[in-house]
Amino acid sequence: MKRFLSAAFLLAFTLSVLLPLLWALMSSVKPGSEILGQPWALPSVLRFDNYGRAWGEAGIGRAFLNSLMVTVGTLIVLLPIGAMAAYVLAKYAFRGAKALLATFLGGMMFPHFLVIVPLFLLMRDLRMLDTVYGLIIVYIAYSLSFTVFVLVGFFVNLPDELAEAAMLDGCGHATTFWKVMLPLARPGLIVVGIFDAIGLWNEYGLALVLLPSEANQTLPVGIARLTMTQQYQSDWGALFAGLVIVMLPVLVVYSFFREKIHETMLAGAVKG
Amino acid sequence: MRGRGRTAFIISFLAPAVLFYAAFVLWPLVQAFQFSTFRWRGLSARMTPVGGDNYRQLWEDQAFATALKNNLLLLAEAGVVIIALALMVAHVVRGQGPVQKFLRSIYLFPQVVSMVVVAVMWQFIFNPQGLFNAGLRALGLDALTRTWLGESAWALPSVAVAFVWYAVGFYIMLFAAGLEGIPQEVNEAAELDGSKGWHRFCHITWHLLWSVKRVAVTYLVINVMNTFALVYLMTRGGPDRRSEVMLTYLYEQAFVNSNFGYATALAVGNFVVVMGLSLLILFLFRRNPVEARA
Amino acid sequence: MNKTLLLATALAVAILAGCGGPSSSSATASEAPTGEGELKGDLEVMAFEGGYGIDMFQKAAAEFQELHPDLKIKVSGNPRVWEQIRPRMVAGNPPDLMFPGWGMDHWALVAEDQLLPLDAALDTKVGDGTWRDTFDPNMLKLCQKDGKTYMLPYYIMVYGWWYDPAVFEKNGWTPPTTFSELLVLGEKMKAVGVAPMAFQGQYPYYMIEGMLFPWAQGIGGIQAIVDAQNLKPGAWNSPAFLKAAQMIDELNKKGFFLAGSTGMSHTESQTQFLNGKAAMVPCGSWIESEMKEVMPPGASVQYMPVPFSEGSGDPTALLIGVEPWMVPAAAKNPNAAVALYKHMTSLEKAKEFVRTKGTLMTIKGSDQVELPRVLQKPAETVRNAKVVYANLVRQWYPEMWKEFEGGITSMLNGEITPQQFVDRCESAAEKARQNKNLVKYEMSL
Repeated sequence: MKRFLSAAFLLAFTLSVLLPLLWALMSSVKPGSEILGQPWALPSVLRFDNYGRAWGEAGIGRAFLNSLMVTVGTLIVLLPIGAMAAYVLAKYAFRGAKALLATFLGGMMFPHFLVIVPLFLLMRDLRMLDTVYGLIIVYIAYSLSFTVFVLVGFFVNLPDELAEAAMLDGCGHATTFWKVMLPLARPGLIVVGIFDAIGLWNEYGLALVLLPSEANQTLPVGIARLTMTQQYQSDWGALFAGLVIVMLPVLVVYSFFREKIHETMLAGAVKG
Repeated sequence: MRGRGRTAFIISFLAPAVLFYAAFVLWPLVQAFQFSTFRWRGLSARMTPVGGDNYRQLWEDQAFATALKNNLLLLAEAGVVIIALALMVAHVVRGQGPVQKFLRSIYLFPQVVSMVVVAVMWQFIFNPQGLFNAGLRALGLDALTRTWLGESAWALPSVAVAFVWYAVGFYIMLFAAGLEGIPQEVNEAAELDGSKGWHRFCHITWHLLWSVKRVAVTYLVINVMNTFALVYLMTRGGPDRRSEVMLTYLYEQAFVNSNFGYATALAVGNFVVVMGLSLLILFLFRRNPVEARA
Repeated sequence: MNKTLLLATALAVAILAGCGGPSSSSATASEAPTGEGELKGDLEVMAFEGGYGIDMFQKAAAEFQELHPDLKIKVSGNPRVWEQIRPRMVAGNPPDLMFPGWGMDHWALVAEDQLLPLDAALDTKVGDGTWRDTFDPNMLKLCQKDGKTYMLPYYIMVYGWWYDPAVFEKNGWTPPTTFSELLVLGEKMKAVGVAPMAFQGQYPYYMIEGMLFPWAQGIGGIQAIVDAQNLKPGAWNSPAFLKAAQMIDELNKKGFFLAGSTGMSHTESQTQFLNGKAAMVPCGSWIESEMKEVMPPGASVQYMPVPFSEGSGDPTALLIGVEPWMVPAAAKNPNAAVALYKHMTSLEKAKEFVRTKGTLMTIKGSDQVELPRVLQKPAETVRNAKVVYANLVRQWYPEMWKEFEGGITSMLNGEITPQQFVDRCESAAEKARQNKNLVKYEMSL
C-alpha cells in the first residue's frame, strides 16, 4: 500500500512537471484560436506553418541567431578569463585574495536591476548600447561571479602536488596552468560552461534594457514582446511555436549533459 | 604555490577578470548609490540633487510596502511548498538507480527553460478559458474555476504555483543529494534504536540536512526577492498591486513613470532587504547542530 | 556589513559628486523653425513601427528627397522606438523628427524642455490658409501646453465599443445608444447565454476610457472631464464620476461582464468576444488589425459609440487618442524636419494614408476617400462629434493613473464600492496636487 501510494504520488508529480511543457508543444501546432478555445483538445489540423510564421514574421529566427551569437561570444571570453582568475584565487595565497574572492562572489547577491540605470548610461557613453558585442561584454562581467565561484571549487580540489611537480620540471606558472591544471579542470569548465550557456540563453532583464532595437533582440525579449505589444496582430499559434523554439535547444543540451550537471549539483550540495 | 615570477603571474591572470568586473559590475554599482540621491526623469541630462529625499519617499511609499509584503508572501508560500514537495519527492527518488536519476533529470526541465517561457506558458494555463479551468470543468468541478490571475486572493498564489513548478526540480536535486549524503551508519544506528518513519525524519534526518537546508533557503531568498519576469509577464503586478513585487514596481517607476532616481533608490532598498535576509539566514544557520552535538 | 555599505555610499557620493553625473548636453533652443527657406543637410527621422508600419513615412521621405536633392533623409522605425530615442535625448543627440509612440512620456519631454514649440511653423501659409488650419483644431489642442504647440497630431484612434453585426442581426439586436437600452438589451443577451460585455482586465484603462470617462461626460458634461483632468479639488469624486462608477458597478452586479474578464489581457478578452462568448467589448479603432489572425471565419467587428449615460452631457462627445509627431529641441535640422512633416500632412498624403492604412487622420478632409468598412462608423462619429477629448492624465500623472487602475480593478472584483473607488481617485489626485515636484498641466476646451 505504501509503495503504491508513493508510486501514485510520483506519477502525479512527474505528470504535473511535464504537462505544461507537453501542452506548449501541442499548442505550437494548433490553429491560434483553439489554444484557448479547446485547450485540452488535440489540434483539429496540424499547423506546422506556425513555426514558419514564428521564425519569419514574428522575428524569432533573427532572435535565435542573436541569442546564439551572444551566448557563444560570451563563453569564448568568459571561460578562459574566469578560469585564470579562479585558479589564482584557489591556489595562490596573497594579500587581499580573500577580499577579492568575496568581491567576486558578492556579485551573485545583488539583482541586476540595481545597476540597470547606471549600466545603461555607461553603455551609452561607450557607444555600446544596442550592440551585440556590448551585451556580450556585459554578460561576461555579470557571469564572472558564478563562473569564478564554481571553478574555484574545482581548482581547490585539484592536488597541489601536480602543479608542484610540473614546476619542478621547469614549467612556469602560466605553462603549468595551461598544460597541467586547466586540462584537469575540464569537467568543471564544461559544467560551468553549460550552466552559463543556459543562463545566458534565457536572460531577460539586461537584454531587455541594453538591446532596444528589434533587429538585435534575443529570444526571451523577442518572445515577451510578442505577448505584450498592443495594437499588433495576436498570433498565438506562432507565439507557442516561438516558446518551443526557445525551449528546445536548452532541453536538448541539458539532456545531453545531464549527468555532468547532476554531478556538479551533488558535489556542490554535499559541500554545502 | 611558489616559484619565480609569482607576482607578475598573479597580476596578469587576475587582470582580465578584474577589469571586466570592475568596469561593468562594480562601477555601475557605485554609481547606483549616487543616482539614488537625484531626481532624474531619464529624458534629458537635467538631474536635480535631492539628497535623501528618494529614501524618505521610499520609507513612506505604500506601493513599495505592498511590493515588499508580496515578495515575502511569495517567499513564504512558494518556499514552504517547494521545501515540503522537494523533500517528499527526493525521499522517493533518491539513490543512484537509473529510474531515479532519470526522474530527477526530468524535474530539472523547467529550471533550464527561460523564465519568460515559464511566465507565458502559465499565463495561458491560468487564463479563465485556459488549461487549468478547462480541466476543472472537464472534471465537473465548475465551482472551483476562478479568474486565477485577476482575483485579488488568487493572483499571487497563482504566480507562486508557476514559481514552484519552475524551481522545485533544483531543490529535489539538492535534497536527494543531502539524503544521499547521510552516512549509512547513521541510518543503521537509527534502525537499531527503533527510530522509524516520521519520527526518524524529525529527529535525525531533518537535522542532518542542515547544510542542504542552508543552501536551499539562501537560494530561495535570492531567487524570490529578484523575481521580475514571472510577475511582469503573468499579471503585470495586478490586480490592484496584489501581485506587485519590488522589481516590477522598480521597473514601473523607472521605465513607465520615468523616475530613474527614485527607481535606483528602490533598487538599493531591494538590495538592503536581500542582504538583511541573507545575514539573517547566516545567523539562523550559524552552527551545524550535528557538529555542535559531536 | 552596514558599515561597509555606508562607507561605499559615502565613497560613491564623494567621488562622483565631482564628476557631475551623466554627460551634460546643452539643448539650446534653436530659432523657431518654419519649414521654409533653403533645405539641406542630413535629416533623421525615427518612427514608431506599429500596426501601420513605416513604409508610408519612407515613401513620403523619398518623394520629399526628390524635391530637395540637397537633403539627405534617413527614416528608421522600431516597434519600441522610444527605447532608442530615450538615450539619445539624454545624450543631446536626438533625431530631427520623431514619432516616439505610446511608450514615450510625451508630456515629460515637454516639461523637460526637450521639444520645440511649433507655432511659428503652424502660422506659415499653406494653400489658402495657414498650416494650422489644415488640422482639426480640437485635436491640435490636445497637443498644447500653456498655449504653445509642442506636438503635431497625425493619425487618431477612436475609442468606443465593438460588436459583431452578424451576431446582432441573427439575434435581432440593435446596438444600444443609451444606458437604459443597454440594460434592456443586456438581459436579452444573458437570456441566450452570451455575456453582454468582455473587457481587458489586465489593462484597466480600457474600462476607464471605454466607460468611466464617456459616462461621466454624459452625466456632468465635458466640464466634468476638464475639471478632473485639471485636478480641480473634488472633481474625481464629483457626482458625475460617482454616477459613472455606479453604472459600471450596476452592470457588474447584474452579471453583464464575461466571467474572468479581470484576469484577461487585451487579446484574450477580445478573442473571447470574437468567439461569441461576449457580445460587445470596449476598444480603439485598431481592433480589427490587432485581431486579424485569431478572427474566426465569418466573424467581423463593427463600431458603436459608447451608449449615452443620459445626463446633461453631450451625447456626441467622443474620446479619441492622438499619436503625435514632434521635433526635439536639440534637433540639428529642425527646419527641414518641419518641412518634411508639412509634406506628410498635406491633404493628398493624408488621404493616401487613410486609404492604404485604414485609419483616420487629424487632417481636415482626409476622410473624403473610400473608407474601409470598419472605419465608416468611427469616421461618421468623429464628424458628428461636437466635442472631442483625450485621456491626458494617463500620461501627465502616471502614478495617479496607476491608482485609478488599481481602484477600478478592485471595484470590478467587488472589493470596494463605487463611492470608495471615486474617493480613492480623489485622494490620488490630492496627492498629485500636493506633490510640488510634479509638473502640472492643464487642458482647455
